[in-house]
Amino acid sequence: MVTKEKLKDYAAKLMFDMDDAGYDRTLEEFETVEKHMALINEIEGIDCVEPMTFPYVIYHATLREDEAKECLTNEEVLANSKDVKANQVKVPKVVG
Amino acid sequence: MKTIMDLRNDLDSSKITSEELFNESVSKAHKYQDEYNSFVTILNEYEKQDSNSLLNGIPYALKDNFSTKGILSTSSSNILKDYVPVYDATVYKKLKEAGAVLVGKTVLDELAMGGTGTTAHTGIVKNPWDATRQIGGSSAGSASSVALGIVPFSIGSDTGDSIRKPAAFGGVVGFKPTYGRISRYGLFAFASSLDHVGCFTRCVEDAAIVTDILKGKDERDMTSLPDENIKYKDILNNDIKGKKLFYIKEITNLEMYKDAGEETLEVLTKFKETIEKCRELGFIVEEVSLDEKLLKAIYPSYMTISCAEATSNNSNLTGIPFGPRGEGNNINDIMFDARTKGFSELIKRRFILGSYILQKENQERLFKNAQRLRRLIVDKMNELYESYDAMILPASGGIAPLFEDSIDRMSDRYLILENHMAIANFGGFPSITIPNGFVNNMPIGLNITGPQFKDGETLNIAYKIEEKLGFKGLIKEEYDV
Amino acid sequence: MYKVTIGLEVHCEVKTNSKNFSSSRNTYSEYPNENIDTVDIGLPGILPVANKEAFRKSLMMALALNCKTPDVVMFDRKNYYYPDLPKGYQITQMEKPVGVDGYVMINVNGEDKKIGIHDIHLEEDTASMEHFSDYSLIDYNRAGVPLLETVTTPSIHSADEAIAFLETLKGIFLYTGVSEARTDRGQMRVDVNISLSKDDTLGTRTEMKNINSFNNVRLAIETEIKRQIEVLERGGEIVQETRRFDEEKMQTFSMRSKVDAVDYKYYIEPNIPPIKIEDSWIEEIKKDIPMLQYDRVQKYMNEYELSRYDSEIIVKDKLVSDYFEKTISLGCNPKSSANWITSVILGHLNKNDLKITEIYLTPKMLVELIDMVDSGKISSKQSKQVFAKCLEENKEPSKVVKELGMTQITDDKTIRDIVVKVLDEHPDLIEDHRKGKNTFDFFVGQVMKATRGQANPGLTANIIREEIEKR
Repeated sequence: MVTKEKLKDYAAKLMFDMDDAGYDRTLEEFETVEKHMALINEIEGIDCVEPMTFPYVIYHATLREDEAKECLTNEEVLANSKDVKANQVKVPKVVG
Repeated sequence: MKTIMDLRNDLDSSKITSEELFNESVSKAHKYQDEYNSFVTILNEYEKQDSNSLLNGIPYALKDNFSTKGILSTSSSNILKDYVPVYDATVYKKLKEAGAVLVGKTVLDELAMGGTGTTAHTGIVKNPWDATRQIGGSSAGSASSVALGIVPFSIGSDTGDSIRKPAAFGGVVGFKPTYGRISRYGLFAFASSLDHVGCFTRCVEDAAIVTDILKGKDERDMTSLPDENIKYKDILNNDIKGKKLFYIKEITNLEMYKDAGEETLEVLTKFKETIEKCRELGFIVEEVSLDEKLLKAIYPSYMTISCAEATSNNSNLTGIPFGPRGEGNNINDIMFDARTKGFSELIKRRFILGSYILQKENQERLFKNAQRLRRLIVDKMNELYESYDAMILPASGGIAPLFEDSIDRMSDRYLILENHMAIANFGGFPSITIPNGFVNNMPIGLNITGPQFKDGETLNIAYKIEEKLGFKGLIKEEYDV
Repeated sequence: MYKVTIGLEVHCEVKTNSKNFSSSRNTYSEYPNENIDTVDIGLPGILPVANKEAFRKSLMMALALNCKTPDVVMFDRKNYYYPDLPKGYQITQMEKPVGVDGYVMINVNGEDKKIGIHDIHLEEDTASMEHFSDYSLIDYNRAGVPLLETVTTPSIHSADEAIAFLETLKGIFLYTGVSEARTDRGQMRVDVNISLSKDDTLGTRTEMKNINSFNNVRLAIETEIKRQIEVLERGGEIVQETRRFDEEKMQTFSMRSKVDAVDYKYYIEPNIPPIKIEDSWIEEIKKDIPMLQYDRVQKYMNEYELSRYDSEIIVKDKLVSDYFEKTISLGCNPKSSANWITSVILGHLNKNDLKITEIYLTPKMLVELIDMVDSGKISSKQSKQVFAKCLEENKEPSKVVKELGMTQITDDKTIRDIVVKVLDEHPDLIEDHRKGKNTFDFFVGQVMKATRGQANPGLTANIIREEIEKR
């Protein structure tokens, strides 16, 4: 059973929080999705179908030849980071 | 309103310069911005590369979820509100090289996850035909900028129907080609296996012209298709006599919508009229019956797959290498704060749903079952395409909704009618929406979806139908309904 | 008595020109954040493009470890949040790793053992972080470097076996050229799982992550075994958890328990389409795998009758082993060649920090040198001089011998004349010799002195013996 507490835990694992009403609305959505997804289980032979990740078999794809190409400059790498020190991204101390 | 080819002729005969066109677009963009809110960013510098392509000197707008070096790219979310990329999306690069001139970056539903055009961090986008109504989404600003006549074409992305639905509500053409036809490099990913790049134009020919420029193999996108040696523009006028179209009974049967409003009935009646016109053109049009259970499962499966992929795709938004830095004393707190402040509630709900779907204990029942359903639908479609050249259906069950009445896409009545266009995302099929007339003074759309890789053939069919219907180049300003 | 069961997970960086999913350089860099592509820092809109060479080398490693290889190239996403993981997910392999169900033979103190390989999969490395008093700095250079993870079955039962396995694995990386496997650069990192039990069932295991030297692996294993025994002897229970090995305190410490284990929500990476792996490609790769250390040792011992000790010394470095084999293919006696390599050449290499390919003496020259000794053209002692001069002056051995006028005196009459003269000068010592005193070496020495060491030692000894008899 999905509860509000569980939803809060899921949110925390996704690194965010929201107000209480948000979790209520999420709970409702969960019910709807579960209800609809239950319909899929009724489709005959569904469990024998191979899950589809790609829209079609992509025959033409190839692996990349191992050639090093131009890299971003250090300035470009750090351009959007809000805290930079010694050409690196600075963050509060990360404890192993 | 002028099409790309009209403008091409004007430019080539020196009736107008590209810079004048750009300035005209920019001033229109500003003029309509307060009322309709098409743009996140309107550019003021005219910049153009030399080229002899058909798009040389033509102004256009780009959805704000494409990476543009040096130009703000927000994906209409607070979490990217100051993000200025250091690289160009492949489509932007190609358009630049083709000499097209960027006018601005358009508003979308936050992170492209929505179909209303109402969830952007910079406010709602309004429908040019009636400002009390939605334009739809997620490519809301790209649709409205073309519908308002600001630009002759714009670029959008389509994961469920994010180009083709707003195109219908805005009375313009919206086309997404086969999955892989246009590189996704630089498109901020929503659901990678469903995401497509496409365009809004005023006519089918323009959609072919733009796609001819954008298509092709990109070494930055492993799923991109190899180059073809054809130009879609060149085959638009091919003879279509004897080509076979089908529509799905369970979606279009008037009997099913007895309780639905008048608008829905009118939309379906218009659709049936269009079918007759197709027959007059020489198409063979047949009704096909599909398992309703499959059709009803399209939207839940789409939600399941797209939310799951979106949760993962947006995990890079932590405010560390880029984006607003959260506050806090330790690393977790700053990521937590950035994401809590950066996403709206709707996005958070989708992410929670998506991560729940991917959890070990739910994956089989939810994620994989949705992927199984996807295969059943795609297999069925591929089977039908062995006998038919395209599927035609109404793009929506009604006209653009009012802001106050939000459509419940999950309700039984709309479950199939409002969501079937995701079929084209499931199978990566080329799919185009063209205007199909008016209901209550609002434009409605006709959707044509062809087999995989048959982009040119699908455009050819759409071109012929468009010609017959005569709703080409609609904009409110000029069109007296 | 407890039975120790160990499983290892070894991460090793693959040597390529570019990263696993982008075209940025894969090189060791002193400067932070300069080997970086849009993909490596997970900018919005990026797509991974998989590196063919990284995959080829991974398949090679899988084949070298006797694994089954997959029918298609496929990657999965492992989702978790950590500041060294810019995309918020790591691209790895779950559904179809490059290798499964393999094994590798190792030798532990003379005994052969088979270690099971659960799987080997290709993934990407994370960014590296440097920690200061109140902040950390992130360098993304390492992010996206191809990383190959080898996971053993729980088939290792002592620290010795673990080290032997790691040495063997490292040897395979080096022999195949898949990785430089330098622990000093963090290119090879080891996770250790340990459990104890009194019977054949597996006990509860603890895990120690990211140990960066083999010596520390040994210490960590020994320390953790000791701790677990103590806990069990006290009647306590082992908790399934991740522990950290502290090499200074020589203790392991609890980091987190399995209770808050993360669900990584693995799913297929949708941007890398499954690409068919042709049988012909696999065959090609197989052909490129050289004979590995374990097999070479077997061959040297069985075919060439070398000792295990010498065999292992020779195969330690593939270049040395190849050099040795080259001499044999040129017809050299394996024992002489091995002797030269282990007692002379390796010493020289170590002293001067050289690779065997960097010295002037080619396998062909070594064979020449050995032939000169065997045919009695020069003495063994002279040969050492020739070797030194040959390297010093970059000259072929035959040329050195000629220049030094260094030919051995093997003529009976010449030696006999000198012997007679020496004996004539020391009648008292002949007496001493007959009484059983060792004066024989003195006579040999005198002959050598008179011939500047050029007299054939064997022949000289015989003649002295004969001449003493005559008197």
